[in-house]
Amino acid sequence: MSLTSFGFYMSTILVYGAVDALACLGLSIEFGVAGITNFGFIIFQAAGAYTAAILSMPNAATSNGGFQEFVLGWNLPWPLPWIGATLVGGLIALPFVFLVGKRLRGDFAAVGLLVSAVLLNLLVKNYVPFLNGDAGISLVPAPLQNLFNPQSIGYQLAYGGVAIILTVLVYFLLRRITESPYGRSLRAMRDNDVVADSLGKNLRGQRTSILVLGGMIAGLSGAVLVGFISLWAPGAWGYAETIVLFAAIIIGGAGNHKGAILGAILVPLGFEEITRFLPPFGSPSLVPALEWVAIGLLIILFLWFRPNGIIPEKRRILSTIVHRAPVTPDADDDDAESASNIGSVNDFDFRSVLTTAPVVNDHRVMLSTQGLSKSFSGVTVVSGVSISIQQGRLTGMIGPNGAGKSTVMAMLAGTLSPTSGQIFFEGQDVTHVASYKRAQAGLVRTFQLASEFKKLTVLENLVCAIPHQSGDSFTGSLRGRRYWGSEDTSNIERAEEILEGFGLSQYADAYAGGLSGGQRRLVEIMRALLAEPTVLLLDEPMAGVHRNLARKIGNHLVKLCKAGMTVVMVEHELSIMDEFCDPVIVLAEGKVLAEGTMAELRANSEVVEAYLVG
Amino acid sequence: MSSFGFGLITAAVLAIATVGFTMQFAVTNVLNLAYGSVMINSAYVTYWVNQHGISVWLALFAGVFCGAVVSWCLNRVIYTPFQRRNLAPITVVIVSLGVDLMGTFGLQAIVGGSYVTYKMSQGHEFHFLGMFLSGVQLIIIGICAGVLILIHWLLKYTRLGKAMRATSANRNLARNSGVKTQFIISMTWIISGALCGLAGTVFAMNSGVFEATSNELYIVLLLAAMFLGGPGEPYGAMFGALAIGLSTEISAAYITADYKEVIAFLVLLGMLAFRPYGLFGSEKTL
Repeated sequence: MSLTSFGFYMSTILVYGAVDALACLGLSIEFGVAGITNFGFIIFQAAGAYTAAILSMPNAATSNGGFQEFVLGWNLPWPLPWIGATLVGGLIALPFVFLVGKRLRGDFAAVGLLVSAVLLNLLVKNYVPFLNGDAGISLVPAPLQNLFNPQSIGYQLAYGGVAIILTVLVYFLLRRITESPYGRSLRAMRDNDVVADSLGKNLRGQRTSILVLGGMIAGLSGAVLVGFISLWAPGAWGYAETIVLFAAIIIGGAGNHKGAILGAILVPLGFEEITRFLPPFGSPSLVPALEWVAIGLLIILFLWFRPNGIIPEKRRILSTIVHRAPVTPDADDDDAESASNIGSVNDFDFRSVLTTAPVVNDHRVMLSTQGLSKSFSGVTVVSGVSISIQQGRLTGMIGPNGAGKSTVMAMLAGTLSPTSGQIFFEGQDVTHVASYKRAQAGLVRTFQLASEFKKLTVLENLVCAIPHQSGDSFTGSLRGRRYWGSEDTSNIERAEEILEGFGLSQYADAYAGGLSGGQRRLVEIMRALLAEPTVLLLDEPMAGVHRNLARKIGNHLVKLCKAGMTVVMVEHELSIMDEFCDPVIVLAEGKVLAEGTMAELRANSEVVEAYLVG
Repeated sequence: MSSFGFGLITAAVLAIATVGFTMQFAVTNVLNLAYGSVMINSAYVTYWVNQHGISVWLALFAGVFCGAVVSWCLNRVIYTPFQRRNLAPITVVIVSLGVDLMGTFGLQAIVGGSYVTYKMSQGHEFHFLGMFLSGVQLIIIGICAGVLILIHWLLKYTRLGKAMRATSANRNLARNSGVKTQFIISMTWIISGALCGLAGTVFAMNSGVFEATSNELYIVLLLAAMFLGGPGEPYGAMFGALAIGLSTEISAAYITADYKEVIAFLVLLGMLAFRPYGLFGSEKTL
């Protein structure tokens, strides 16, 4: 190979590598960080490529003998076509928000995106006047081709250089977002979207921003590619190309942008280059077919043997306290641990970590319902529940299994919407207010089932719940650490303080997913407190927590109530109710059976029959 | 009216396929995107047997058998081990896409890219109510009706069917109530796999000629039919298949054949956007 042809070869590798890396980076922020399984990712690259092509080409009717048909043809100079491609890549994401918005399960949304990719390909292929149909658009001008000779080795290498620089810039941009408080919220959403929502994260907003950002990056990658190869056709963007990109980031390491780049080099680029050097064998369709088989196989093997890829997502060490040896929590060792390691919730004042101003208790009605009902496919689970929760009190809620306690809690917090009835929070009708907005307004819930963000550390779990973080927005994250850094440090310190208070400091930098059941309950309580609630809804917070520790937490909850917080707690352990809760609401078969102090309830024969002895 | 006839036959093939697909999803909670590739592999098994001089109507059983065995193996070797790891549901969907690539292109690597056709007579052409249907097409519609009645009988009147429905509604509760859920899940893969194999073979019969990637877009029709009737609802799937089958063929006749799948896409996207639990389903099923 002569030096010049080697140079041409290198420039091709550089451009293809950069294009693949850009695409993988876009997918990495969507899938690896925000948890959006965008099976239609290739649409966005295609949109960028077509846009760059038709913006840079002269009018279809007058150019090239008019042998191809397409819209626009504005003949714009570089870099306008690339900028246009980036913008269109982002804009085209907006119609897909309905699929990735809050309501739809992730796998259904993924299917919707996959199908959209197939549909759009079919439409573009069959409708010739739009983008020249199946034949595609060719003779796309190279950027600045009237100033330089695109065939020269210098131009080609410079093109490769520009592509690489763009990739590096995008990499740093994404890292800036991922490592910010906003990135933490994105990863929380990825790990458990319902819980992130209950902590006040706007899922639709977050997903829209990231889908648009990923789309812009994909659009740019398409523009870079089409400027180099000068043609673009439906055959280049079959839905299966998205699977190749997924294979790349799964192999390289989803959630780690370095892994995405490595994956881009190994899979799309690597496969292309290896087959280039293979001696021809078999029928012409054999090698591509085997490539697809290999990609399918690699996806399965990696997901099984190395699900975090070659470069796994790194664990973020946040703790500012002198590092002790990292403790790996032992999830099977529930009893021993709760008795010894944790449970030193001693003289720590929970109130001190909250930034809300002290409140004088006036026991006004904070939260109330009117005829709240819920039925699932005809089965009524909650019917006509009207309750009032008073400020500064620790209200208990008991009832046999299936009484509708968790359903009521979920409706109060907005996780479920009631079939009928109304909910008032501080006098406002919030029946139709989204759950994340209720959380932001101070109505925060915990969950009956484990709800930690598994792949966030304990400290990250806590810090991400803190409201009003200036770095917890898309624009805030772009402004960088200088903008949000010091605030984040003080947030981390607050989280460490409460962690210390619960005696869990040694687990600060461990993944929350590795904690024992009891420890996870504690993390959840701490996290809910850090969300600065005015009304805290606790769904069986003591389940799996050691009895002594549960009593200590109960005492602290009483203290918090005295200091002005309002708490509603569902609990099965009646001794806890006896000791801490006043009043207590009894639910049975979806209705309010009685309300009063535990002593009064024990005297009520109906209640005793329904629950206390049952 | 002739497009109604085409629609009916398309719907018949689709109904067999969708009922199997939706049962897999309902009982085993796997959105098996490799379903189409199992279909076409089964169609090829029928073809190989048919090539050895055996009537296609007997060879069909080989295709059915292949569908059942391959599906059972897929579940045993791949899907169940992945599900046991308690990963996000999307992981299994991605895995099924990997399986789909391997199934489709593995077949293409073996048989090459050329089109094949079954050795069979299309039978007399029948003409009634303005529709033209060949003997083969009538038989396919008959098979479809028979299969749907069998599935109805299975789900409504047999212990196995009731156990399948129980497992679908709540797997843990079913297990705690004494249902052998692992066995039920295996049986579901075998039965739905058999339907998949049958659907692949009748699909190939109906297309006349086919090759390894012939039903690449078929998964879209399947998904559209499933979501129209409600994911995991066998009766909904029957309705969905009829609606999608008829509407694609009728729109092909009145608009243009190039866009005949478009209506299925739009139905699917519309359902996902507004009623992801199907026309008759309710929120709780998700």
